Amino acid sequence: MDDKNTARRRFLVAALTLSTVASALPGMPWLRNSAAWADEPAAEDPNLMARLARRLFPHEAIPDSVYAAAMGNVLAALAGNPATASLLAAAEQALDAYGNASWLELDEREQIAAIESIQDAPYFGAILATVRGAFYYDPAVWPYIDYPGSSKEYGGYINGGFDDIDWLPGEA
Amino acid sequence: MAKQYELDDASVVVVIGSGAGGGTVANELAQKGIDVVCLEAGRRLTLADVVNDPPAMDAKIGWHDRRSGPMVWVCKTVGGTTMRWSGVTPRIQEHEFKALSTYGQLDAGTTLIDWPLTLSDLEPYYDKAEDKMGVSGTHGIPPSAATNNYKVFRAGGKRVGYKEITSTRIAINPVARNGRPGCQQLAFCNSGCAIGAKWSTLYTEVPAAEQTGHFELRSEAMAVRINHNDRGRVTGVVYKDADGATQEQKARAVCVAGNVVETTRLLLNSESAKFPDGLGNSTGNVGRHYTRHTFGHAVAVMPKPVNYHRGTRQSGIIFDEQYHKPERGFAGGYILETLGLDPWNVSNAVGGWGAANTVFTDNYTHLAGLFITGEDPPEAVNRITLHASERDDNDLPVPVIEYRDHPNTLAMRKHALQQSRAIYESLGATEFAGGDVPVGAHNMGVARMSADPDDGVTNRWGQTHDIPNLFVSDGSLFSTSAAANPTLTIVALAIRQAEHIAERMTQKTL
Repeated sequence: MDDKNTARRRFLVAALTLSTVASALPGMPWLRNSAAWADEPAAEDPNLMARLARRLFPHEAIPDSVYAAAMGNVLAALAGNPATASLLAAAEQALDAYGNASWLELDEREQIAAIESIQDAPYFGAILATVRGAFYYDPAVWPYIDYPGSSKEYGGYINGGFDDIDWLPGEA
Repeated sequence: MAKQYELDDASVVVVIGSGAGGGTVANELAQKGIDVVCLEAGRRLTLADVVNDPPAMDAKIGWHDRRSGPMVWVCKTVGGTTMRWSGVTPRIQEHEFKALSTYGQLDAGTTLIDWPLTLSDLEPYYDKAEDKMGVSGTHGIPPSAATNNYKVFRAGGKRVGYKEITSTRIAINPVARNGRPGCQQLAFCNSGCAIGAKWSTLYTEVPAAEQTGHFELRSEAMAVRINHNDRGRVTGVVYKDADGATQEQKARAVCVAGNVVETTRLLLNSESAKFPDGLGNSTGNVGRHYTRHTFGHAVAVMPKPVNYHRGTRQSGIIFDEQYHKPERGFAGGYILETLGLDPWNVSNAVGGWGAANTVFTDNYTHLAGLFITGEDPPEAVNRITLHASERDDNDLPVPVIEYRDHPNTLAMRKHALQQSRAIYESLGATEFAGGDVPVGAHNMGVARMSADPDDGVTNRWGQTHDIPNLFVSDGSLFSTSAAANPTLTIVALAIRQAEHIAERMTQKTL
């Protein structure tokens, strides 16, 4: 496995296994200890995770397939880790218990209300951090928010508009 | 060229750590012909290892050993946290060296003191440090290029009445200098500079020291204990080598520069019958007075594109709020610095979830942002200790970090966020978010310099009060935090300390 994939897996697993992740900030400081993972497929419901990701980070321009692929990466990375599986299971159970139907069958407004009902639960911060990291560090997401990623191979922005702003008062 | 020393060669100075403090003191000693062995826990990378991928780079350079308590964001790699730092290099101001005299003790829980040295003592070394590091706007070096994010910051700053706005004081080459290239505006400064335009000891101090023939770097060498003799002088450093074998390098003197968590752990873990509370700790000050600055961030959605992902993450500074103006409702001051973030960092910094969060990433091209660093007072309750029973993979006790914001810090952050909002709203920002950055990136104070041994661990040279041949050479030395990003002061103190050690050796008093 190359460095990049190892790092991404560790990042996902660490996010969901460390209690400090909810308060983490710039530059991925919560990417810390390695933890056990395995390559078995995930037991958790991928449809629920994809929808949960959309409700947590709703971008109209981003298709469901991108959310699903990003969360598929999370579930693959977390598969076989009993601690994280139980966190996800607890969240799923609580979401499904919220309304008169399973969470996936609720309408958007009710789905959001269900998430609000669990946002103080002990597992929520870790799940939020995991989804956030998996989603926004997935290169498939970046074109939809006009983020180009690595610049090294293009020689940086020295000739690529790092100083091209032209609408400021009194600025060249 | 690079030399190799015998483990039983007791004539060498052992430096623990190769970052801003350790890398600098080691090179300065080697330049004076003093033999140095530098023990670095991390691996030695090359520029080819540096990629624009924050998770991948964190895996390569981050310090991932277990800790308990609030986040500390430092590096385990040759070059230490100079691989990750942003390069912002303001000096500490004259009054900040006299924190207790200027502010008074804030309350019964704060432990402010005056530094045992003044700005004028340190000025010649600030000059040397700025020259060494290539700080923009000093020594004939041009200002750093004005990025889009800086131009917004400057225009908004002017509108709210700020005067001291600059794109200088950044240790990233604006133009090629001393064998390193000028900045190409890659924008991934905190994942290691892929071209070496940002000062890091990995490709400055370390190779310069190797060229003297008086220096050996041992990477993947984790110091676990400092030994001493019956006379109370340190004699060697026990470390685990790259193969996991335990070694001891004998030493004439030892400089500890592991960044504050590791410096604390090493001193405390070196306890003995003679020093039952650890080395340098006869007055109980090791690990205490831990400061990490009033941190904060602000991000705004501007009416037109900024594209702040293009270019240096931190490229400009507003100094107007750095002064002590108690009428603002807090002691000490703060500095505003531009900050550009990738989408994950934007989302995480804004915090929460839902549309209130994604309004920022949905407008990614229109974002402008800044970082707040201000003085935080040392407090008795903010400290680093060792866990009584839990041990890590190196069989070392897990560090326990305790840190909370003082009311002075909360008041300062509130003021800074109000000012930040005004900067961006003056230019028509449509959304604004700001808050804490609860991450220990500026770690200071756990072996602080003090005139009175009852108040600290080290004297004005960074020499421990208890043990004449044991020195501390990193941010642990800070008597109080001041507002400035700490690296420049760490480097200045290290240059000054090396000069002192060399003099003492010449006089045969060390």
